[in-house]
Amino acid sequence: MNKPLLILAILAAVVLSIRTAAAENPDAESLVKAAFEHYRGQASKAEVQMTIHRPSWERTLTMSAWTRGEADSLIRIESPPKDKGNGTLKIGSDMWLYNPKINRVIKLPPSMMSQSWMGSDFSNNDLAKSDSILHDYRHTIDSTTARDGMRLFWIKSMPKPDAPVIWGMQKLAIREDDIIVAQQFYDEDMVLVKSMQCDDIKMMGDRLFPVKWRMHKSEAQGHYTELVYKQLRFIDGLPDRIFTLSNLKNPRR
Amino acid sequence: MLTIELKMAWRNIWRNTRRTLLTACAICFASVLLIFMLSLQFGSYATMINASVKIHTGHLQIQAAGYHEKKRMRMVVPEPEAVASVVASIAAVDVWTYRANAFSMVSTADRTYGALVIGIAPEREAHVSTLKQTIQNGRYFPTDDRSTPSDLTPALVGCLLAENLGITVGDELTIMGQGRDGSVAATVARVIGIYKSGMDGFDRSTVQIPLTAFQSIYTMGTAVHEVVVIGSSLKKVPGIKAAAAARLKDRFPDADLAVLDWENLVPGLKQAISLDLVMGVIMYFILVVVVAFSILNTFLMALFERTHEFGILMAVGTQRSRLTRVLVAESAMLTFLGSIAGVVIGILVTLYFQARGIDVSGSSEILSQYGISGKIHPRLSFFTVIAGPSIVYLITILSALYPALKIRRMTPLEALAHV
Repeated sequence: MNKPLLILAILAAVVLSIRTAAAENPDAESLVKAAFEHYRGQASKAEVQMTIHRPSWERTLTMSAWTRGEADSLIRIESPPKDKGNGTLKIGSDMWLYNPKINRVIKLPPSMMSQSWMGSDFSNNDLAKSDSILHDYRHTIDSTTARDGMRLFWIKSMPKPDAPVIWGMQKLAIREDDIIVAQQFYDEDMVLVKSMQCDDIKMMGDRLFPVKWRMHKSEAQGHYTELVYKQLRFIDGLPDRIFTLSNLKNPRR
Repeated sequence: MLTIELKMAWRNIWRNTRRTLLTACAICFASVLLIFMLSLQFGSYATMINASVKIHTGHLQIQAAGYHEKKRMRMVVPEPEAVASVVASIAAVDVWTYRANAFSMVSTADRTYGALVIGIAPEREAHVSTLKQTIQNGRYFPTDDRSTPSDLTPALVGCLLAENLGITVGDELTIMGQGRDGSVAATVARVIGIYKSGMDGFDRSTVQIPLTAFQSIYTMGTAVHEVVVIGSSLKKVPGIKAAAAARLKDRFPDADLAVLDWENLVPGLKQAISLDLVMGVIMYFILVVVVAFSILNTFLMALFERTHEFGILMAVGTQRSRLTRVLVAESAMLTFLGSIAGVVIGILVTLYFQARGIDVSGSSEILSQYGISGKIHPRLSFFTVIAGPSIVYLITILSALYPALKIRRMTPLEALAHV
């Protein structure tokens, strides 16, 4: 074992042991909050490969993504060449799409929110309301199992009364080191609609991160969308100018 | 012997002219009403089906199996020309066209709506659907297809969608959706025409662009989603459907093609018709029952009035069965007279309105959903002429049977004592 890795391993072990000690009796609310902070950070820049798989065909895109805090993100497609430059900007819960071929920005209307994003198994709502689980749901620990030698908390999230939510229930599987390994989406009748698996937990940037995210709808066998993080960097902040319509249209970097 | 009974019956009828005429009138009126209403109903169904079918769906469509339910971009008819040549070989097929659909976002500078973008073959489409005639503002696609390539994609927009977007002829429209290969499909179109089909759902949610433009924007290649077929008449549709299915299977054994008729394509239309028919049948049933009771009443009254007469006939030795036969013959003649008059008048009235049409433009709010926007023409057929009157005839004969059978329980003495 070479030296940096060894140090890293020791460091990780120390960090983990502190965490486990502190989280002897974790409460669900803080678990969820910590998990989201863990995977979001202050801000991040990532390169992601998205594979849309269907029984008869498959399609792979690569894209760059910038996120800041809970609500702002910018995603730009890098390949295939045909779709290069197509972008999605999200500020708060508003979303805009940009297409370079016609050089237009379209603001997504509420009626299109349930449609699929870029033909994937993610809906526009999955992006636009990604922070909804933090604010609109109450969390309770459903069960505790073990995974990778660590405790795994299954958290049941029920919407708060009158919260404008899409899902009737969500379930989160969070490892005790704050890594989300699964998220399940249920409708009002508590039927599983789609679920996401996060695998391949590796060091990305400065922290452990699941590199492979796979979303599939329960009704469609053999249909799934897989995100693979090729690069991920957590940073302290990103300037406002990144999350603007003009940057969506004319990338400055 | 029978002739004597018939003669007696005939004379008996005309002994009280007013009563006879009133009864006959009731039967006649019921028959006229039934003939007219049934013809009107079937006429409006034909109008509904044809109008609805002519606006968009066509009599039949050939699609990839499963496309109708799932509407997935990838489920295409890969060789539309070859499919069309197979369909064209069926004698009862009149015209056909190709279409491709994609649910997309259409937007102006500040508004965006989801809409179905439909690629149509301009020249063929004009023969198949009424789209060209329903253009309210602007014009249809130039059929010569020699528009300068640098121009924006021409587009026709439904009037309600145009209203929602706040656009008119000459304005630009951004269309953004997903191509067949999953890529982003986007184009800027110029509105050249606005159509008002009368079908609100259609006018609110569709945009039409030329098929060639559609195929390049949505990376469809030469594929389409629907081959739309119009037969020479509605009646020929089942025949065409069977023939097309068989020939396509023969010619393309590997292709997963489905032949759908208008009943499959617009199931709501068929259901609306069934519902309306059931409501109609209930109405007619009530009408027939009312008529039957009034006739029963007339015959019963006549019986009471003539009890003394029957007593005398029985006293001089007439058999009761013979009296019954006379009474049945009377009612049969009376009903027959009424029905014949009803059929004649009913046919005349219906034919008059069939030629002239009934204006329903005032109340077209609901009807326009089914594509009826103007006049309804009743449609006289053998069935509509025969069905109503024969039921009336049967019911009245049955109700007349009751008084006739009552005679069998009379004794001459009782009858004579009756005043």
